[in-house]
Amino acid sequence: MSEKITFKELVELIAKQSEQSQSSTNSFITELVQIIESGLKSSGSVSISGFGKFELRWMNERTGTNPQTGEEITIPGQNKVVFKPYKALREDVNAPYAGLKSRIIREETEIFEPAVPVQKSKDSSETIDDLIIEHDNPHFVKPEKPKKKTPVAAPLPNEAKLAEEVQKSGSFKWSYAAAVIIALIAFIALFFMIQRGIDTTETPTTTPQIEQVTPPVVSDEEPADVAEPEPPDTEPQTEFETTSFTVEPGQSLWTIAENQLGNPYLWPVLYNVNQDILTNPNQLPAASDLQIPEISDPENLNEFEREQVALGYFALYEWNLENNPDEARYFLWAVGVFSPELLDQPPSDVDPDDLAFARNR
Amino acid sequence: MNYKQLIDRLSEQTGNTKVKTKEILGDTVSVLSEQLSRGSGVSIPDLGTFSTKINQEKKVYNPHYEAYIMVPPKRTVEFSPSTNLKEEVKYLEQPDE
Repeated sequence: MSEKITFKELVELIAKQSEQSQSSTNSFITELVQIIESGLKSSGSVSISGFGKFELRWMNERTGTNPQTGEEITIPGQNKVVFKPYKALREDVNAPYAGLKSRIIREETEIFEPAVPVQKSKDSSETIDDLIIEHDNPHFVKPEKPKKKTPVAAPLPNEAKLAEEVQKSGSFKWSYAAAVIIALIAFIALFFMIQRGIDTTETPTTTPQIEQVTPPVVSDEEPADVAEPEPPDTEPQTEFETTSFTVEPGQSLWTIAENQLGNPYLWPVLYNVNQDILTNPNQLPAASDLQIPEISDPENLNEFEREQVALGYFALYEWNLENNPDEARYFLWAVGVFSPELLDQPPSDVDPDDLAFARNR
Repeated sequence: MNYKQLIDRLSEQTGNTKVKTKEILGDTVSVLSEQLSRGSGVSIPDLGTFSTKINQEKKVYNPHYEAYIMVPPKRTVEFSPSTNLKEEVKYLEQPDE
């Protein structure tokens, strides 16, 4: 974006396009600039068809402060040159974003999604701290048990119990608990990595990320496995074809959905398919391998895809119910947007108030 | 100064016909907008610099719907006038129009 072409290159391009010599193009532009300047002086505006309009705008006198001395000064009224691009130019420049439309807020909750989940790989110590706190909290440990049903499942109860005991006894220092848990996590991750090494013979490239709690997931895992813990899930007739995708710094589910699926609003489906990696939809572990489902046409989802997106939003609803109850209902509403049928037969653990909100919106 | 007046003046100054002048100006505009669409900035001496900027997605309140609206990201053109041009027009009498 910061890329720039020099004036010389510009002249060359124009000369080529208009089949003129470079020197006459050069003098043409010089004349043009002079005429724009004199036009601004004489009439206050110069319009170039298909491009835009240069205008003078009068800025009234105002007071400001000298940033160095803090002293109040009066800035006299003056003219400013503004450029207003015309529609043709605006549309050309905005072409990459042309398809996007404004949407009414289910985004009240999603709004922080692009900002918060930005991966913290630069600052891994912080990430680990965050995760430790989450694991200390029994709220987080409990719901994780049913979700992690891969080889990791066996050692996990220990960890949960331990965290609970540590909390009950109260005589332990938090830092001690954290140390124990991180050791456990590292052990589990290591165990998992070794297993994976045996399974696939392929050496994992993400070894430094072991401490990121969520080990890279075996890539040929079926999304159906993940969907299974979903209470309302009727076994899907078809399954997503998935491709593997390694998260890069600065990415969020939102941007990945935008780039890989073609529509950022489909990001919950990523969460749903990758629930074994993503314990917190707002945090993306560094360099984790996500499964990206194939979506044929992001503008026209077929029935199965719509249902999967709705299930994704439902998973988010459940997560938010525990961690962010105030905003959970917006996700439930989004479920109804993608699959009204799912709202018609709500699972038992849906709050009736939220359901009413989602239906009447 | 409207487009017609601009073409008149420009053809007078360069000695080209009006039709020819229009063509060259059209080519200039198309090259400029092509460069801007690619995300390249373009500087023109004594006039200023054209560049593009991405306005990030944002949330605004829409009083009509009484709800918050997500406004998608948008790329727009920015123009920053050259120092020379700024100084030239700075203390002009305010134009009538």
